[in-house]
Amino acid sequence: MARAIVHGISVSTGFAIGKAVFVNRRHRAEVPRQSIQPCMVEAEQTRLSAAFAAVSGDLAHARDRIPAELKEHQHILESHMMILKDPKLAGVAAKFIRELLVNAEWALEKAVAEVEKAFGALDDLYIRERLQDVRVMSDRVLTRLLGVAQDPLAIDGRVIIMAHDLTPADTVALEVAKIMGFATAQGGKTSHTGIMARTLGIPALVGSAELEDLVNDGDLVILDGVGGRILVDPDEDELTEFNELGAQFEDYQRRIYRGCQLPAETIDGYRVQVLANIELLEEVAAVLDNGGEGIGLYRTEYNYLGRSDLPGEDELAEKYSDLAAIMSPRKVIFRTLDLGADKFISCFGPLEEANPAMGLRAIRFCMKHPELFKTQLKAIARASAYGNVSIMFPMISGLREVRRAKAKLREAQDELRAEGKRFNPDMPVGIMIELPAAVMIASMLAEEVDFFSIGTNDLIQYSLGIDRTNPHVSYLYQPLHPAVLRSIKHVVDAAHQAGIEASLCGEVASDPFCVPILMGMQVDCISLSPQAIPGIKRIIRQARMGECKALLREVLACRTVGKINRLVRDTIFNKYPEELMFFASLLDNDDLGG
Amino acid sequence: MSEQISVAEAGVNAGEECVLQVLVTNQLGLHARPASQIAREAQAFASSITIVAEDQIADAKSILDLLTLAAAQGSTLEIRANGSDANQAVSRISELFAAKFGEK
Repeated sequence: MARAIVHGISVSTGFAIGKAVFVNRRHRAEVPRQSIQPCMVEAEQTRLSAAFAAVSGDLAHARDRIPAELKEHQHILESHMMILKDPKLAGVAAKFIRELLVNAEWALEKAVAEVEKAFGALDDLYIRERLQDVRVMSDRVLTRLLGVAQDPLAIDGRVIIMAHDLTPADTVALEVAKIMGFATAQGGKTSHTGIMARTLGIPALVGSAELEDLVNDGDLVILDGVGGRILVDPDEDELTEFNELGAQFEDYQRRIYRGCQLPAETIDGYRVQVLANIELLEEVAAVLDNGGEGIGLYRTEYNYLGRSDLPGEDELAEKYSDLAAIMSPRKVIFRTLDLGADKFISCFGPLEEANPAMGLRAIRFCMKHPELFKTQLKAIARASAYGNVSIMFPMISGLREVRRAKAKLREAQDELRAEGKRFNPDMPVGIMIELPAAVMIASMLAEEVDFFSIGTNDLIQYSLGIDRTNPHVSYLYQPLHPAVLRSIKHVVDAAHQAGIEASLCGEVASDPFCVPILMGMQVDCISLSPQAIPGIKRIIRQARMGECKALLREVLACRTVGKINRLVRDTIFNKYPEELMFFASLLDNDDLGG
Repeated sequence: MSEQISVAEAGVNAGEECVLQVLVTNQLGLHARPASQIAREAQAFASSITIVAEDQIADAKSILDLLTLAAAQGSTLEIRANGSDANQAVSRISELFAAKFGEK
């Protein structure tokens, strides 16, 4: 038996066995305060300056051999190098050595404290990020000064990187070839660590609260990215078992990958479009490699986050047009800004809202800031000249909202026309169905738009009235709740009656237990994370529409979610005994893989 | 660019002093990107360079210091440089203001 098992949220699947190496921890070693003699001031300042220079040298080295997949993050290293050169840090610390006659470590800590004090009350994303840079850099210099701990830039052997939290900056400075997995105490499903790990094709766990208490540097660990856990100090049997699982997993990956460029068509000839959800332009390569037939959800928030100004129309239009052109003739659906709730931009900042999920977010936020909205609408419209572009509005609750959003779009298109800029006047316009209100009036909404996209993550939350990130009620997050299933079916039927397409994005689209039911409803497209596409396409290619419809009928006859989950599990397990070993499902927390 | 880190305390450089007033004309003011541009440029000069707002002085080589200024559009600032390349430093940094830091 392993000495301990640590649980976490898997954000990238797979298995890894290796040595645990912490690149940072919640609490650092105490920094000792030592008095020095005036005659030692110069030597202490030299020691400090040497530590700064050494860290800067490491960064320059990392910058020069940054792997191509991570090139886009190079600016992080640049910004760190600037902090190292900042007189407010190095210069002030040197001053403290002389004035207070203290050791370099203490002087540096005090300089950092001064910087934090100076920014103290400023609540601005950009400044918070620079403060974070200051901490990351001063920690690294301290590590040098203290001469302890692992220098993350000089890792030896194949390792699993552990951390309290991993910033993109931490990740980008690591030597990627040696890393077999990531695990962090902080972070959630959408954290950057996940995107990095999936890009690199290695397993990763986040939100693993006990990580720092139960794992020591140098421990041998098994990272189980399927089961979402870490086995610390595994025994022989466990090592053998996971070695084998790892081999099977690679085998399985190869198998699903082989067929991923084939269309997602059932044995009896029913075709579903399988599209991808992305938020970075760089993910396009993964979409095409994994057999994505287009982009079903382009989350446009990323270009607005982590900066203090707003992106301009030209900047956005250029990025959007690139995406449209690369994907052409494949479809790209742009979702207009879904800010608010958990994502804010520093120009506006978080509002004081008791209930942000029901607050000023998404289309409501955009309508409140018409100039910001119009800039984005014009950029999307301009991209429509370069490919197969559609646009959709999130969080629509009623007809008036759709009409106003469409009027804004027309206004944007009129301006483009007046400016002599090209766009596709017939760009399809859709809406996200995420609110129970939109479900109820789906047939009326269908007359206003060209397609529906059902956002199940939010629809489930709003329908069941639960916040899934709240651990007290997360057990109620049930994708196959009878009410949720009826809502989805109602929307799909309303769309088809009006002769428009119904697509679906959300985690259920990548759940092998849910997809056959969605197929039974005759959903036209599903949109999921690029990495999940090959496995889901394979499930679809082995299905029969007749069976999916029969399963849907049976499921709709069940009165409780428990009964539905049992029925679905049994049916799907019998149908795909070999496919499900490496899938984590959204259904009950029972051990589905076992 | 040199990777040398200067931990030297800012001293009084012997040499000329150069002072120039500039107007913050870019829409977003002296913030984030502009601050990092100024610091990057300033770090390349030997002179000590400061940016003076009404009641605040910031070291132009320190992005951290510049960010605390948070000068808005329309405010007047003074660039002061002291040292062997003071003239070049002031003219280079005033160019950044004139170009609105590349904002449109």
